[in-house]
Amino acid sequence: MDKPVIVGAVLYDPKVAVIWEMIAGFFAERQLPMDTVFYTNYELLVSALLQGHIDIAWNSPLGWVDAQRRSGGLCRAIAMRDTDRDRVSHWVVRTREGIGQITDLRGKAVAVGAKDSPQATLIPLSLLRRHGLEPGKDVQVREFNVLVGKHGDHVGGEQQAFQCLARGEAEACAILDLNWEAWTGNGTINPLEYNILATTDPFDHCVFTVAADFPPDLERQWLKTLLSMDYTNPNHKEVMDMEGLRQWLPGRTSGFTPLSKAVDESKFFEGV
Amino acid sequence: MNEYTCDLRAAVQDSEPATVYIRKHRFSVGAPLHFDQEYPYITALEHALGALAADIAGGLQAAARRHRVPVDHIEAVLTGRLNNPLTYLGVVGEEGHPGLERVAVTVYVSSPAAQEEVQRLWIETLQRSPLVSTFRKAVHLELSYQIVL
Repeated sequence: MDKPVIVGAVLYDPKVAVIWEMIAGFFAERQLPMDTVFYTNYELLVSALLQGHIDIAWNSPLGWVDAQRRSGGLCRAIAMRDTDRDRVSHWVVRTREGIGQITDLRGKAVAVGAKDSPQATLIPLSLLRRHGLEPGKDVQVREFNVLVGKHGDHVGGEQQAFQCLARGEAEACAILDLNWEAWTGNGTINPLEYNILATTDPFDHCVFTVAADFPPDLERQWLKTLLSMDYTNPNHKEVMDMEGLRQWLPGRTSGFTPLSKAVDESKFFEGV
Repeated sequence: MNEYTCDLRAAVQDSEPATVYIRKHRFSVGAPLHFDQEYPYITALEHALGALAADIAGGLQAAARRHRVPVDHIEAVLTGRLNNPLTYLGVVGEEGHPGLERVAVTVYVSSPAAQEEVQRLWIETLQRSPLVSTFRKAVHLELSYQIVL
C-alpha cells in the first residue's frame, strides 16, 4: 500500500469530520491514499506541519501567516477554494444612528469577533487604523472571544458582535461579507435597520499549506487530483457544497497581504 | 441466588457493521459513534440509548399490566449529551472523554388513570429497571414523565 498523504485540519464540530471522510474517499478512489489528523487549534496544526507530523495543513489565513513567520517564509500555499479568494469584511452600523463615515466612530465602541479572527477582528481593526483610529485608544473594542485558537472558524464570535450592536452596546460591528449576505438574506439581520459603513480590502482565507520539504512530485500529483474535483459531477457536488466551494484553485499568497499588515500593526504574535 | 449472566457475541468482518449474536437472534451495530445523519447503520451509542429508552417505556407498560392500570400509549423521548465528541475523533489537544455526560428521558404516558396510580407505576418501573440502575451509576440521569390524554 502506498504511504498515505497526511492532511491536518482544525476541527471544532464533529460533523466536519464527515467532509474529510468524503475527501479522503475521493483521493482513495484515485489511488492516492490520504489520512486525516485533527487538531484543536491552529497553533498545534502549524506546529505539526513544521515538525513533519503531517504533510499538508488545511490552514486558516492567520495559520498561514504564522507558518511563514515560524518557517522563515519557506512554506508553500498550494491550493484553496474559489470562495477563499477576495473576501471582504464590513463595518456594519445601525441605520438610524446616522454614522456616515468611518471617522465618526472616534470615541465610540465597536464590536468584533474572536481576537484571532482575521475576518471579524484583525483586518477590520486594521481598516480603522488606516483612517487614523487606533483600537483601544480612539475606539473602544468589544471582543467576543468564542473558541479562541480556531481563528474565527466558528461564527459565534461574529454573531455575538452583531448582537452587541443590536443591543445598542456598540456603534459598529465587523461582519464577513458571506455572513452579511447570509444573515440579511435569511432574516437574521433586517437590512433596513443596518447598513454597511465601510469595507476592507479584499483578502484570501483558508489555504492548503505544505512545508519546504514536501516532495514536489507528490505535491503535483496531490494537486492534480484535488483540482480534478468537478462541481458538475453529481458525485463530487455533495462534498463541494458541504465544504462551500464550486472549484478548487491553486494557492496564492497575494491575498494574505492585508492580514500580514494587520498582524504587524497589532503586534499579534508578540508574546505568543 | 444463582448467578445470572447475559451472554452474547459481537463479530466484525472486514468493515462495519458488527453483528451481535444473542440467544437465537442477531442484529447489526454500526460504528461506536458517527456524525453523519445519512450514516446507514445504527451506532453502538444509539443502540445503548435506544435500549435505555425502551427499557423505561417497556418497563412502565409491564408495570401497568401487572397492576391492571389502563394505559393507551407510552413514548419515551431521550437526549444524550457526550462529554466531548471531538475526543472520539482523536482531535489533538482536546480534553475530556467521548462518554455520555448527561442523559435526559421524558416519558409521555397516555392514560385515564389517576396521577397517583401512574406515579406508583413510575417509581416501580425505575426501581426494577436494569438499565436505569446501571446508567445512574455512570452518568447524570434526568428522568421524568408527563401524563397526556
